[in-house]
Amino acid sequence: MIIDANAWLGQWPFRQLRHNDVDGLLRLMDANGIDKAVVSSIHGIFYKNCQRANEELAEAVSGCHDRLLSFATLNPHYPGWERNLQLCRNDLGMRGLRVFPAYHQYDLTDGPSLEMIAAASELGWPVTITQRVVDVRQRHPMDTERLIGVAEFEAVVAACPQTSFIMLNALGLEGSAMFAGNREGGRQVMTDISRMTAVMGNSMGVMVEKYGAGSLVFGTGIPFNYPRPALLKMDVLQADAATKEAIYHGNLERLLRL
Amino acid sequence: MRIDVHSHVRVRDGRLSVDDCHSLVDAADRLGIDQMWCSAPAPGAMPEPEAIRAGNDAVIEAMRLYPERIRGECFVVPGWYREALDEIDRCLDAGMIGIKLYNQYFINDPAVFPVIEKAIDCGIFVLDHAGHLMDTPTRRLQPKISDGVHFADLAGRYPEATLIMGHIGGGGDYEWSLQALVDAPSVFADTSGSVIDEGMIEYAVGLLGAERLLFACDLSEEAGVGKVLGANISAEERQAIFGGNAQAILSRRKAR
Repeated sequence: MIIDANAWLGQWPFRQLRHNDVDGLLRLMDANGIDKAVVSSIHGIFYKNCQRANEELAEAVSGCHDRLLSFATLNPHYPGWERNLQLCRNDLGMRGLRVFPAYHQYDLTDGPSLEMIAAASELGWPVTITQRVVDVRQRHPMDTERLIGVAEFEAVVAACPQTSFIMLNALGLEGSAMFAGNREGGRQVMTDISRMTAVMGNSMGVMVEKYGAGSLVFGTGIPFNYPRPALLKMDVLQADAATKEAIYHGNLERLLRL
Repeated sequence: MRIDVHSHVRVRDGRLSVDDCHSLVDAADRLGIDQMWCSAPAPGAMPEPEAIRAGNDAVIEAMRLYPERIRGECFVVPGWYREALDEIDRCLDAGMIGIKLYNQYFINDPAVFPVIEKAIDCGIFVLDHAGHLMDTPTRRLQPKISDGVHFADLAGRYPEATLIMGHIGGGGDYEWSLQALVDAPSVFADTSGSVIDEGMIEYAVGLLGAERLLFACDLSEEAGVGKVLGANISAEERQAIFGGNAQAILSRRKAR
């Protein structure tokens, strides 16, 4: 079983994407042996009103909840997020929250942000933060070049001790102590492997050794990225079968109560 | 056969880091990479000849450690005119197979022409660190990094040169550079870098043809192998990219 923590649906305004509707994404997953994927709508990053993107996403995945696990996108500085959070959980069948402070232009630890993260946490939802969505070195001139730094991750993790977090597309986290607090039954802090490596610097191996298998989740970044590099990393990761199973699916199953 | 045409060995305290060299070969073993073409560029806007030679000495040591796996690319800074040409001779005599340039000069700068002419005389390739950078911090750090437009201009002046534009996955706007290279058939592009944009290999094959693409990692090993394995291209195209084209480039070398 493979569950991808880092998948997306919709149009990216600055680059052509393929396999970015439900049928295309499922075909790409099938071709690569990926059973399930956590998805959010790319449109939620760019629409002023994220909730319209959440509604689109819910309709798109309505026939395949067994494979596509939808996460809401919300902006804590846009009116109505409190109600929309509840709607996403109760009416739209969503299972977690993705936030985009670089695009929605706020600080992760400002008041509204912490309030929204706490509200998501009360629903039992994990909160996902992307260090970047795409590589800023090849950005469109109208795209952001702000990256979420390790210190920002650490600050919000420290400020929200009850919240489980998943970091996506992140580099340089293996030296951070924010993963050290994972305990059975407690909140979990994890990062996906999409920008990590299992050779040379071996950041994946370092994370497993320092913080346990519970600190990593499998993630590809499809359809932005080819999925094959992430699968290769898992193939060459020098770890026992139980560790690989935890990364491939166990950690997310536990977090999302699948 | 998988030949990574753009790789590096590390220099620590002025010498080859043997541990890093072992790690590179271990990664290659695990990912099915047969050969790595390595350089060790000296950092800085205008590194001194001694530092340049120390980097090349580290590559020569790595070649001796792993003669079947590591082949050398001679790093030079064209602005050190006489020293650069002498260093190319020294490195070729030690068994290196090509020239590596970094971002000290745009590749179509006249200061680079003697190095290009030397490469033509020897029948060897010139691989240049490249990218069309779009973010402010990286662009400030590399004001003279070459992109496809610079390569196309140089190829117009020296169509007989074997030029390799480094790492389309190195972070810049690779579509910009690939578009600029369409009518510069003597320029190859290597696929290295951490960027694994879905469709990038298919796009490059469609625009340039598989015969102008060279597999490479630039130390992003899983990304390098994975994007070529994951691309929806024919087996023949994949084989050409993975090693066939690189072998053909090697056959252009003239006897010394």
